[in-house]
Amino acid sequence: MRRKLVVFLLIILSFVLQNTVFKTLALASVSPNLLLVLTASVGLMRGEKEGVLTGFFSGLLLDIFYGRILGFYALVYLFIGYGNGKFHRLFSDEDIKLPMVWIAFSDLAYGLLIYFFQFMFRRKFEFRYYFLHIIVPELIYTIVVMLVFYQVIRKLNRWLEKWDPDKNTGPGGLLHSGTPVLDRFDNMKEL
Amino acid sequence: MRRRKKFSVPGKYLFACLAFGCILLMGVSFITGYSGEPVNTAAGYLFVPIQRGLNYAGGWLREKTDNFASLQEAQNLNEELQAQVDQLITENSQLQQDRYELSELRALYELDESYEEYEKVAARIIGKDAGNWFSTFIIDKGAKDGIAVNMNVMAGSGLVGIVTKVGDNWAQVRSIIDDTSNVSATVLSTSDYCFVQGDLKLMNEGVIHITELRTEEGAISKGDKVLTSHISEKYQEGILIGYVDELVLDSNNLTYSGTLTPAVDFEHLHTVLVITDLKQTAD
Repeated sequence: MRRKLVVFLLIILSFVLQNTVFKTLALASVSPNLLLVLTASVGLMRGEKEGVLTGFFSGLLLDIFYGRILGFYALVYLFIGYGNGKFHRLFSDEDIKLPMVWIAFSDLAYGLLIYFFQFMFRRKFEFRYYFLHIIVPELIYTIVVMLVFYQVIRKLNRWLEKWDPDKNTGPGGLLHSGTPVLDRFDNMKEL
Repeated sequence: MRRRKKFSVPGKYLFACLAFGCILLMGVSFITGYSGEPVNTAAGYLFVPIQRGLNYAGGWLREKTDNFASLQEAQNLNEELQAQVDQLITENSQLQQDRYELSELRALYELDESYEEYEKVAARIIGKDAGNWFSTFIIDKGAKDGIAVNMNVMAGSGLVGIVTKVGDNWAQVRSIIDDTSNVSATVLSTSDYCFVQGDLKLMNEGVIHITELRTEEGAISKGDKVLTSHISEKYQEGILIGYVDELVLDSNNLTYSGTLTPAVDFEHLHTVLVITDLKQTAD
C-alpha cells in the first residue's frame, strides 16, 4: 500500500507538472510527456499489472481534463503500460538504455496512435508535417526529461523495495506481478 | 499483513477487462455525449487546488523575472508611448464624436445593443492541454460559478474559445486555434460569411484558417476585422475573432480561403472572461 500511495502521488505530480510547468517550458510549442514516462517505467519495473493500472489512471486523468470522449487516452496509456510490462523480464535496475529505448518506442507509438485516430480520421493527411513537427520533437524532449525523471522513479522503487522486500522477484521486483488484485484493493482500504 | 488469496488475476485479463471498459466508455460517451460528471467533480476537487497553487507560484515567479527583464525596455517604451498618447488623445476625441453619431444612428435603427452587455465572469487558466496535439485548457471556474457548456470565452476584446466540459470548480475550454474548432464568422467591412477553423499546422505560425468566404474580388483587404456571425449556433454575435491576413481564390472559383491573425495572443494567455449568457437558439 505504501507503493500504491507513491505511484498515486507520482501520477498526480506528473500530471500537474505536465500541464503547468512543462507547458511554460515548451520548446517549439512541444512539451514532454511525463505520464508516459511514468507509465512505461512502472510497467518495466513492476510488470504488466501495475503498468496497466498506472496507465489506466494516468489516461483517465487526461480524459477527464483534456479529452473529447472519455476513455480514449485511458486506452492508449493502458496499451503502453501493458506493452512495457511485457518487457519486465528483461528489465535490469542498473541499465538505463533499455528503458530509454522502450520509452522512446512508447512515445512514438503514442504519437502515431493520436495521429491515426484523432487526425487521419478527420482527413488530415499531412503525416510528414505532424511527424516532423509534433511526434519527433515530443519524443526527443520526452527522452531528455526521462533521463532525470526515470532516476527519481528508480530511486523510489529501490527505496520501496527496502520497506517491502519480495524475494520471489528479480532486482526490480517488489509487489511482483503475481500479486492478486483483490489483495491490493484490500490494502487500499487500510490506507 | 498480506493475506493469501486463492486466485490472482493475471495481467493480461486485467488488461483485457480495462481495455474493454475503455472501449465501452468511449462508445457510451460518444453516443450519448456523457462526460462523466461525478468523476469530473471528484477529480476537480483533488486537482484544482494543486493546479491553482502551482499556477499562483508560477505567476509570482513570472512577475518577478519579468520585472527585472523589462525595466530597461519599459523606459524606452515609455518615451515612445508618450508620443503615442498625444496622438491617441487627438484620435480619441475624433472617435468620441463618431461614437455619439453612432449611438444616435443606432437609436434610429433601433438596433439591439444587447451583445455589448454580456454578463461575464473572469477566470484564471490553471492548466494547458497535457498533450501537444490540441489546444484546450482548463480554468478555475466551473458549474458552481454559473459556467455551462457552450459558453463563449474571451480575453481582452477577442474571442478565445468555447466551454466544452464543466466540473464543479473547473471547466474545459477549447480555443479557436484548436484543430477541431470551427466558428461561423463574418467580415465586418463587407458582411460576407465565412468559417474560421483552427489548425495545428498553422498554429505555430500564429495564424488560423479562414475558409469558404464568398466575396467579390478586392472587396476585402488585409487587416479587415472578422467577427462571430449571427448565424452561428453557439457563438454570440459580434465578438472579434481576428484580422484577415491573406486570401486566395479557391479552385472552385467561387470562394476564398486563407489565413487570419487572431485578436488574442494565445501564447501569453493567463486570464479569460467567460460570457455567462448562452446563445439563444430556436430548438
